[in-house]
Amino acid sequence: MIWGFRLEFKQNLRTKKFWVIIGLMGILYIPSFYLMKSFLLQSGEKITNEAAMNMLISSITGMTSFFVAILALLIGATAINSEIEKGTLRIAMSKPIKRLHYIAGKFLAHSLVLLIALLFSTVVSILGVLYIGGSLTGRLVGDVLLLNMLLLLAMIQLVALGYLISTFIKSATTALGFALAVMFIVFMIVPSMVGFLAIKDTINSQNTSMEELQQIQKYYTTKYLFYDPISQIKVITQDVSTNVQNPLKAGYRGIAYAIKHNMVNFAHILWLTVLYLAVGFYRFLRMDLR
Amino acid sequence: MVLKIEGLVKNYGDVKALDGLDLEVKQGQVYGFLGPNGAGKSTTILSTLGLIYPQHGRIELVGLEVFRDGKYSEDSLVEVKRKVGYMPEHATLWDFLTPMQTLDIIGEAFGIPGRERRKRAEELLKLLNLWEVRDKKVGKFSKGMRQRLLLAQSLVNDPELLILDEPMTGLDPSGIAEFKDIIKDLNREGKTVFFSSHILAHVEEICDTVGIIVKGRLIAEDRLETIKREFLRKAGYIIILETNKPISFEGTGWKATPLGEKKYRIAAPDDIREELHDFVASQGAKILTMQVKEPSLEEIFLKIVE
Ligand SMILES: Nc1ncnc2c1ncn2[C@@H]1O[C@H](COP(=O)(O)OP(=O)(O)O)[C@@H](O)[C@H]1O
Ligand SMILES: [Mg+2]
Repeated sequence: MIWGFRLEFKQNLRTKKFWVIIGLMGILYIPSFYLMKSFLLQSGEKITNEAAMNMLISSITGMTSFFVAILALLIGATAINSEIEKGTLRIAMSKPIKRLHYIAGKFLAHSLVLLIALLFSTVVSILGVLYIGGSLTGRLVGDVLLLNMLLLLAMIQLVALGYLISTFIKSATTALGFALAVMFIVFMIVPSMVGFLAIKDTINSQNTSMEELQQIQKYYTTKYLFYDPISQIKVITQDVSTNVQNPLKAGYRGIAYAIKHNMVNFAHILWLTVLYLAVGFYRFLRMDLR
Repeated sequence: MVLKIEGLVKNYGDVKALDGLDLEVKQGQVYGFLGPNGAGKSTTILSTLGLIYPQHGRIELVGLEVFRDGKYSEDSLVEVKRKVGYMPEHATLWDFLTPMQTLDIIGEAFGIPGRERRKRAEELLKLLNLWEVRDKKVGKFSKGMRQRLLLAQSLVNDPELLILDEPMTGLDPSGIAEFKDIIKDLNREGKTVFFSSHILAHVEEICDTVGIIVKGRLIAEDRLETIKREFLRKAGYIIILETNKPISFEGTGWKATPLGEKKYRIAAPDDIREELHDFVASQGAKILTMQVKEPSLEEIFLKIVE
């Protein structure tokens, strides 16, 4: 397991896609923090760490998850098929390594790559909060870290889905195209349709308050979008702040609270990962590697 | 017996790739596994290493049964792979690694300690003429260099049995000659070599036994000379003859076609070289050159399939 892990990890850090995505993330963080700061200066409010966290969640989380999700799907969907195409898998598996150990090692390496991307996001986020006037406290570091680990779990689910795709589609390029299409349709179009449905149902109901909409959105997301980890994260992080609309005025409950109060959504992230991996690994064990 | 395959069947969907293949490779042999493209050579090789799943049959490798009744024994496979080296067909190695790093990571897979790995890598890179480029990225290598590195990676564990899938395909004649020399040396060291090819010239001079596979079945297995003689016996001899002056073949019963003024192509049912000597002498002429035309692999395949 260690062997497959080391090989894959080296390979990922040496390929361009990882650094391109990290670079893009870094580049996009800078203007968002800059905008936040000028917004704060304009409003004349004194920034607290809690308010900064609220802002962070409402603006940065979506962006991070978008980029890391692409990275996750890219590395997942080509994980096995591209190695069969190149022939490196036949070389690796002609050595005294068990298939299960190899694939588990590879998956761990991919998870670690995502962890590094999200640790990078953690560090940049903390620096950003300090830049807009927050102060460095244990709570801030802990919460930013916890938020990114939540994102990590969501992204690992996408890698696992990618693995599943890469055991079904033999051509790596086709698999990549398919994964991007899935990303676009299942993780972008369908969620906005469900969001639209929630708004429609709220308007049709008697009391059209913001809380009502949030409740219906949460209900629909939990029920119809359980396979979209990013939507699940949105539901969870909604509970971090008492008022999503105005992060500066809102109370702050913390990430741990939000997770604890949305265990169903948290569970959706986990059980699907296990399911994808179980099917993906099983298929890999029984596959012709040519 | 280093490799023993019994009744191996492999279908890819509707495509019957192996149709009850039987094959035996003995200790110390250089075994040439010959067959036209699509005959099932790679399928056979991949099966022996557990890289694909056949449906039926039995495979025994370096003394252990690895496959039976549609199932591999993973423990046996792992055990066996310690003693086997495999060079795949059309494979690239990790482009981002250098030859040194490649052999190092392969050595790690066998649990060879670091110092020994480096020593082994140095030996192999020198043996295969890659020492000069040991720190260059494999991504920029030529076909010949890649092929040699592929062979090098199969030798890291000093295997008892080497399984090579089309190792000489795509090499130029000097590359092929070099490859054959290396295989001969490895065999002299005591390694059994099993390799596939679709080109007859590749197995010449180095194989003690040749197996011929057509449509997923082994249709002949013998010494190459025997297979050729058998072929010539069935198909007849073609002799190319050159003399110092023109001669007439009238009344001999041999079918002679002039290829030039003093050069002939003679078709005969058996080896008539002795008779030709006397016949040419009887006309007061001398033989300058005489050779039996070698059958091509394609001709042999066709004849055997008939
Ligand atoms: N993945 C596959 N799917 C379907 N058919 C395949 C696949 N791989 C090989 N085949 C078929 O199996 C047969 C044997 O192939 P192969 O073992 O590669 O032959 P060889 O190595 O002798 O050229 C061929 O007819 C080939 O087309
Ligand atoms: Mg082949």
